Amino acid sequence: MSGRTVALSDLLGRPVRDADGRKIGRIEELHAEIALEREGNDYVVTRFSVGHFKSFDVIASGNFVQQLVRRIARATGYRRYEIPWDLMDLSDPAHPRALRREDELPRTR
Amino acid sequence: MKKWGELALGVVTSIGGFLEVGSIATSAQGGAEFGYQLAWVLLLGTLSLAMLMEMTGRLAAVSKRTYADLLRERFGYRFFVLPLVAVFVVSLLVLASEIGGVAIALQMATGVAFRWWAIPIALLGWLLLWRGNFSIVEQGTAMLGLVAISFAVGALVLHPTWPTLGRALLPSLPSHDRARYWYIAISILGASISPYLYLFYSAGAIEDEWTIEHLSVNRVTAVFGNVFGGGLAIAALVTAALVFAPREIKVDRYEQIALLLATPLGRAGFVFFVMTLFITCFGATLEIVLAMAYLLAQGFGWNWSENLKPGKDARFSTSYTVLLLLAALPIVLGMDPLSLTNISMVVTAASLPVTVIPLFVLMNDGDLLDTHVNGWPSNLALVVIALISIVLLVAALPLQLLGGG
Amino acid sequence: MGAVQLSHEVIDTQLVDRHQEKIGRIDELLIELEDGKPPRVATIVIGGAARARRVGRWMLACHRAVHALFGQREEHASHVPFGAVRCIADTIEIDVDGDTLDSMHLEHWLATRVICPIPGASGERK
Repeated sequence: MSGRTVALSDLLGRPVRDADGRKIGRIEELHAEIALEREGNDYVVTRFSVGHFKSFDVIASGNFVQQLVRRIARATGYRRYEIPWDLMDLSDPAHPRALRREDELPRTR
Repeated sequence: MKKWGELALGVVTSIGGFLEVGSIATSAQGGAEFGYQLAWVLLLGTLSLAMLMEMTGRLAAVSKRTYADLLRERFGYRFFVLPLVAVFVVSLLVLASEIGGVAIALQMATGVAFRWWAIPIALLGWLLLWRGNFSIVEQGTAMLGLVAISFAVGALVLHPTWPTLGRALLPSLPSHDRARYWYIAISILGASISPYLYLFYSAGAIEDEWTIEHLSVNRVTAVFGNVFGGGLAIAALVTAALVFAPREIKVDRYEQIALLLATPLGRAGFVFFVMTLFITCFGATLEIVLAMAYLLAQGFGWNWSENLKPGKDARFSTSYTVLLLLAALPIVLGMDPLSLTNISMVVTAASLPVTVIPLFVLMNDGDLLDTHVNGWPSNLALVVIALISIVLLVAALPLQLLGGG
Repeated sequence: MGAVQLSHEVIDTQLVDRHQEKIGRIDELLIELEDGKPPRVATIVIGGAARARRVGRWMLACHRAVHALFGQREEHASHVPFGAVRCIADTIEIDVDGDTLDSMHLEHWLATRVICPIPGASGERK
């Protein structure tokens, strides 16, 4: 029942390590949805986007820019992971850890 | 009536951009020292500003948020602080120089030293913003600003050589005083492409409740307004080339600039010059202080609108009140308005990347603009403008030191 | 209201209250972590200190210094439960009355003490 509170901006940009301790990127985004089991408007985080840019959202979601960035990203070996909340260990919010190895983590195409 | 009102937004913004103390002073200096040669820089500034205005107007009409709103929303507070501070500092300097311009006009009209006029001007500006709504500020300034047509009249009376002017619209290199030439070029660009202009235009689109239906009006206003304003600035340059250059007069006082209209049009020309200086600088004063208050209010999420009574947007109305008085101070303290203008123009030019580059990102955002994102021609133009802005940033300080009169 | 991206769509977005009045932007979000449960988006923070802290510690220090200069020991920030959110769109509407929010303190103080005493300030629209 240990409820810790962490600020969103303290999570964004934090380096994430995989189960082997290798750095796989930084938290770029948190995706949240309304939790259907509970009453009311409770939003819970369903997954974390982890990549090499500190905050990918700085480059907005426009088509042209995104395609340009994706091409550059692919060329430079950029990878983005979509880590479900239950595969992310936030017991130490300053040092988030994925509970799987890098090659086992879901990726964005 | 409504269509005229919509056109007025573009005209008043262009007047604030092209016929205010910065453009008048830099065009006069450019014409005096290099004849027609710097006309291409004015053309470049006109086209760049027209595009930037069209884009920020389109952004506001489609996404229903101003450019300042989106600078905070899409880039986060951490990034936002950068354009906030840059635009703020630069705009405050320009605001002070515009108040200086109005003060000089009153000094020329009454003989009372310009220092004494600073506070009354700030108070008059405040009163207009306090009582007037956005339409009054917008349309009043646009209509009164038509007096600036006297610059075109003055130029025509002096019979400019059109072929030479035509050639001057193409980029050229100076034959003498290279540092001075490029210094004035940078000043002209800083006077033409001021961030407060497209920030004001974007907020104005929201004040006027523009929607997708207004996109063609937006294009017409941005183009027409800037062609009108830019044309008048070129007229000022041409007049300076014909009045000052032959006599080898270098412009270092505002009173000399009155000769621009007094020489072709006599006593009437002097009166028109004073009126033009007063009205256009006063209009620019209102526009800049509003742009700054908009930037603060939108960036921090306060209630804001010139159409609301001041009590309903207290932080917004306090902001423009304080800023007007603050900007009046340098003039009250007797700082030379022309020096202030020259410095503020160069600093403005140097500050451009921080508001031009983010625009490139936003104008390609499908979530914001849907099908109205930039096509490749607009993107190409914006990239060119962004590259120019970076060159200006790098060159500003060296040129100020080498070429600043 | 489906999935939202907290960094891209929620933080820094304009907030409006139940009367559609602008009451600031979301300056920070507090996430509640509990073992075995998905992290919960718990609280909206509206206020300068949270905002300043995002820029850096130096900014927070400046912010505190400015407040000390005006003789304010505590800052007026608001913590609103995320459950009060009614709609997430171009603006985020929360089911509160802006007049009750601590973060609106400066707006109200200026309105009552500075702005409204000056003639022509009161009323709705010009």
